Amino acid sequence: MERVSFLDLLSIAACLLLALLAHVHSLPVWVSIIVAVCGAIRLGLAWRGGGAPPRWVLLTVAVLVIAVTFLRFRTFNGLPAGTALLCLMMGLKLLEASTRRDMYIITLGIYFLCIAALLESESFWLLGYLVGVCWLTSATLLRLTTGLPRPAWRPSLRYGARILAQAVPLTLVFWLLFPRLGGPLWALPVDSDSAETGLSDSMSPGDITQLAQSDEIAFRVHFLTAPPPPQEMYWRGPVFNDFTGRTWKDSLAVPRQNPNLQLQGPAYRYIVSLEPHQHTWVFALDWLQQYNLPRAQLTADHTLVTPFAVSRAVDITATSFPHANFLLPMSEQLRQRELNPGKANPRTRELALSLRAQHPGDMEFVSAVLQMFAQQPYFYTLTPPKLADDSVDKFLFETKRGFCGHYASAFAVLMRAAGIPARVVTGYQGGTFNHFSDYWIVRQSNAHAWDEIWIEGRGWVRVDPTSAIAPERVERDVSDSVSADTATVSHWRGHARWLADARLRLDVLRELWRERVLTFNQDSQERLMEMLHIPDPDGEKLVFVLAAALALVFIWLTWQVRRELDPHSTDPAARTYAKLCAKLAGAGLPRQTHEGAEAYAARVAEQRPDLAAQVESLCRYYSNLRFAPPGGLTAAQFRTLVRAFRPGHVRPGHVRPGHVRPQDSRASRGS
Amino acid sequence: MNSLRQAATRKLRTWAARRGRDVLPMRISRRRIYILPTRFGLMLALILAAMLIAGLNYNSNLALAFAFLVASLTLVTMHHCNRNLLGILVDVTPEIDAFAGREANAEFVLRNESNVERPDVEIRVLPASSTGAAGIGAAGIGAAGAAGVGRVSARNDAAINVVIPVANRGVLHVEQFELRTRYPFGWFHAWTYVQSPITIFVAPAPLGSRTLPSTGASGTAATAETRGDEDFSGLRTYQPGMPLKHMAWKSLARGGEPAARTYTGLSSQPEWLEWSALDGLDAEARLSQLCLWILESDVAQRPYGLRIPGKEIAPSGGAAHRFACLRTLAAFGAASD
Repeated sequence: MERVSFLDLLSIAACLLLALLAHVHSLPVWVSIIVAVCGAIRLGLAWRGGGAPPRWVLLTVAVLVIAVTFLRFRTFNGLPAGTALLCLMMGLKLLEASTRRDMYIITLGIYFLCIAALLESESFWLLGYLVGVCWLTSATLLRLTTGLPRPAWRPSLRYGARILAQAVPLTLVFWLLFPRLGGPLWALPVDSDSAETGLSDSMSPGDITQLAQSDEIAFRVHFLTAPPPPQEMYWRGPVFNDFTGRTWKDSLAVPRQNPNLQLQGPAYRYIVSLEPHQHTWVFALDWLQQYNLPRAQLTADHTLVTPFAVSRAVDITATSFPHANFLLPMSEQLRQRELNPGKANPRTRELALSLRAQHPGDMEFVSAVLQMFAQQPYFYTLTPPKLADDSVDKFLFETKRGFCGHYASAFAVLMRAAGIPARVVTGYQGGTFNHFSDYWIVRQSNAHAWDEIWIEGRGWVRVDPTSAIAPERVERDVSDSVSADTATVSHWRGHARWLADARLRLDVLRELWRERVLTFNQDSQERLMEMLHIPDPDGEKLVFVLAAALALVFIWLTWQVRRELDPHSTDPAARTYAKLCAKLAGAGLPRQTHEGAEAYAARVAEQRPDLAAQVESLCRYYSNLRFAPPGGLTAAQFRTLVRAFRPGHVRPGHVRPGHVRPQDSRASRGS
Repeated sequence: MNSLRQAATRKLRTWAARRGRDVLPMRISRRRIYILPTRFGLMLALILAAMLIAGLNYNSNLALAFAFLVASLTLVTMHHCNRNLLGILVDVTPEIDAFAGREANAEFVLRNESNVERPDVEIRVLPASSTGAAGIGAAGIGAAGAAGVGRVSARNDAAINVVIPVANRGVLHVEQFELRTRYPFGWFHAWTYVQSPITIFVAPAPLGSRTLPSTGASGTAATAETRGDEDFSGLRTYQPGMPLKHMAWKSLARGGEPAARTYTGLSSQPEWLEWSALDGLDAEARLSQLCLWILESDVAQRPYGLRIPGKEIAPSGGAAHRFACLRTLAAFGAASD
C-alpha cells in the first residue's frame, strides 16, 4: 500500500486532536500525555521522512499502555475506562500509521470518539462542535481516498458540507422515528469515577455548604396545577435514619410495603425535569402519590428511587399532597432505630433530657427547641468552623454557627434523646421562578436539610429548624425572582436585574433543548404520531411510519443528488428553455438535438405560423440571456413568459402577438 | 471469502454479458450500476452498529443523533458513489496494436455532459471469462485485469489509458470492461460492466539478426538511398501515421478527402518479406524477424509485401499497410485453428 505523506498524517492527526479535545476534561492527564507524545513522535518521524517505529517497539508500547490502563481503572468496562482505552488505542494507531488503511481506521475511531463524548455530556455546543469535527474528518477522508490529482482543501470542505447537509433530513427522520428502548439493553456498570453531583448518600456537617455555592441546576419543575407557595416547596431527597455521632447515614432503601397514608390537602401535579446526577433518587414534593417513572419505587422513607443511577436527563410527572396522616403505627424495630441518638454528644443528650422535663408534650418540646435556636445567638453561616468529635455538642454549646445541616443534625439528636423518633431529610428547598417561561429552577444552592419527627396519631411531621433561627434563609432564596418587584429587593439587585433576566432567558433555551431533544422518548414519539393523525400509536406503527418517511426522504435524496447531473441544472435560463422545448415537443414540435434556438424557432414558425411570433421572441430571449451581456430580460421574467406560453391551446385566431412583442425592443437592445 | 467473492463476480459478469453487446458510445444508465460496500465500508457499518447500540443503551438522544448523522452520511455517500458513474458516455478504440513483451494501450474516452465533476473513475479491462482465448490469446491480462484511473471534469471529455502488459504474440479478445469508482470516501464501490469487444493485436517482438533480403550487406546505404522523397508519385488517402509534411493541404483546401502525397525513392521496387527466406529459425523467431523487417521497411518508406504460410499481402506502403502486416503476424496460427 501507498506510504502516507507528512501532510496526510498531519491532517488526520489534527482531526484526531479535535475529537480528543472533547474528552480532555474527563480523561486522566496521563492518557492525554501518552496520546500527545505518540502523535508528536509519529509526526516528528514523518517530518524527517521516516516511517512508523519498528513493530516490536509498537507492541511493547501497546502492551504497556493496556497494562497501565487496567491497573489504573481495574476494568475496561464502563465509560471512563472504555474512553481512555479508545483514546490510547487511537494514539497508538497514529504512532503506527504507515498506510492509507491505518488512516481509514483512525477516521472510524474519530467518529466513535465523538459518540463517546456525547455519552458523557449533553450540551448543545458539544454536539455542534462534534458535527464540525465530523465535517473536517470527512473532508480529510475525502482527500485521502480520492486518487490523484488530490482535490484541494476548499472544494473538499465544500463537498463535505454538501454531503452533510444532504444527510440532515435523513438524520432527522431516523432520530424522530427510530424506536427507542424503554431501558438499557443491559445494566450499565456503575461509573465510580463519573462525577456525582448534588446531595450524597450520607450527610456530614459541611457537605451542603459546598453545594450552597454552586449555581448548577439540579432540576426544573413545571407545575400543571397552581404551585404551592415557595416556602412550602420541600423537594424530598435521601433520608437518613442512623447517626454515628458525626455523620448521618443509611436511608431505608427498602421498597415501601403498602401506602399507609391518608392524603389530604390540594393535590399538586407537576413535572420534575431532573438533570443527571448519578444517584438513584428522584426529587419530589411531600407526599408523593403518583409518578410515571418506569421501575421507580417509593422507599420506606418515602423517597422515590430508580433501579439505575440517573445518568440522563429524565422527566417525571408526579402528583403530591401537602399533608398526610400515617394510619399505621411505627413498627417497634424501626422505632428503636429512630430513637437512637448515638453514643456521642453527651451534653446535647443532657440538654434534651432537661428540656424534656420542662416540656412533657411532644409539640411543646419541639417549640422549646426551636425557641432556643431563635433566641440564643445561633448564627446561620455558609462558612461554619470545622467540627471534630462530638460535633453536635461543639456546635450547640461552643461555635453556635452553622448551616442547615448542623441545625437539622442537632435537632434530630435532641429529639431522639428526648424520646421523639426523628430523622434527617435532605433535598432542596424553594426554587427560582422563570417568568419568561412558566417553570421553576432548583439549583444546587437550594440544597437543604430538615427533620421529620414522629408524632403519635399523625405520623411523620416536617420540622425545619433552620427556618427557626434564620427566617431570611427561606426568604432569601425566594427573593431571587418571586419578589423581584417588591420593595424588599436590595438596591444592587436592581442593577443586576438585567443580568438575572438574561440568565433566565438563556435558561429558557436550555430548558427547550432539554425538553425537546434530550428527553425525547417513546412518549414523545407517540405524541408525534398523534400529531400525524395516526390512531392508537404503538411501536409497530412507528416502524411503518419510519419506513414510509425513509422512503420519502430517499426519493428526495435521489432527486437531489441526480438533479445536479442535469446539464441545465445550474443555468436557470437553460432550464427554462428546456421547459419551453418540452412544451413545444408536447405540441408535436420536438427540438432536434443539432438545432440551435434560432433554427428551432424558424422551423416552428414554418410549421405553426400561429406560434411564430411567440416562439421566435422567446427563443431570442433565451439566446440573449445565455450569450448576450447582462441587461434586458432577466431569467425570472423569461421563466414567467415561458410559464404563460401554451402552444397546445393557442388557436390561429387567438394569436396575441402583442402579449410578448412589446418587450422585443428591450431585449434586442440588451444584446 | 475471497474465492467466494471471485465466484460471485464471475457469475455477475456472465449475467451482465447475457444482455448482449453494447453499442458504443454508450451512456451508463442507472440500471446497470451495481453498488456494494467496500471493506472499509463494512468496518464503518460495524462502528455504526456499535454507535447505535451505545446510544440506545445509554439512552442518549445526542449520541443517537450523531450516530444517525454518520449513518445518513453513509447513505448519502452511497447515492453520490452511484452518481459518480451515472450518465457518463463511454467510448473506446475497438482495435489496439501492440508488440509482445511491451504494453497495449487501450484508450477510453469518457464524456461527462453534466455539471458535476467525476473524480476517480477507474476503467478495468477484464480478462475473458473462462471461455475463449484458447492458446494464443491467453497472453497478457492477469486475473484482476488491467486498470487505468482518471477524472472527468464537468462538461468535459477525458481520455483514460489502460495499459495492458502483453507478454506473448497473439490476438487478445477483450469482451468486457468495467467502470468502477469508490468516490467519495471509499465506503462504497460502484461498478458497471460494458460488453464491447476490444481486439488487441499483439505482434511479435521485432527481433532478429538477418538483414533485409534485397539490401544485402549495404543495408544502411540502401536506407539512405531509399529515403528519397523528391520524386512525387501521386496522392493517397491520408492514414493516421503518415508524416504531416506529406499532407496534401491544397487538395484538402479544395474540399477533397484528406490526402497525402506519396513519393518514390530511387530503389522503389517492391520487396517481398518472406517466411520461406528464414530457414533454420523456428516459427516465432521467423515472425519476429519478419516484424523487424516490416518496421525497417516502413521507416525506409519502401514498399513491401508479406508472404507467410496461408497469407499473402501485396506490396504497398504507409501506416495502414504496416498495421495490416503486423496484424497478420499477430494472428498467425490463430486463423487456421
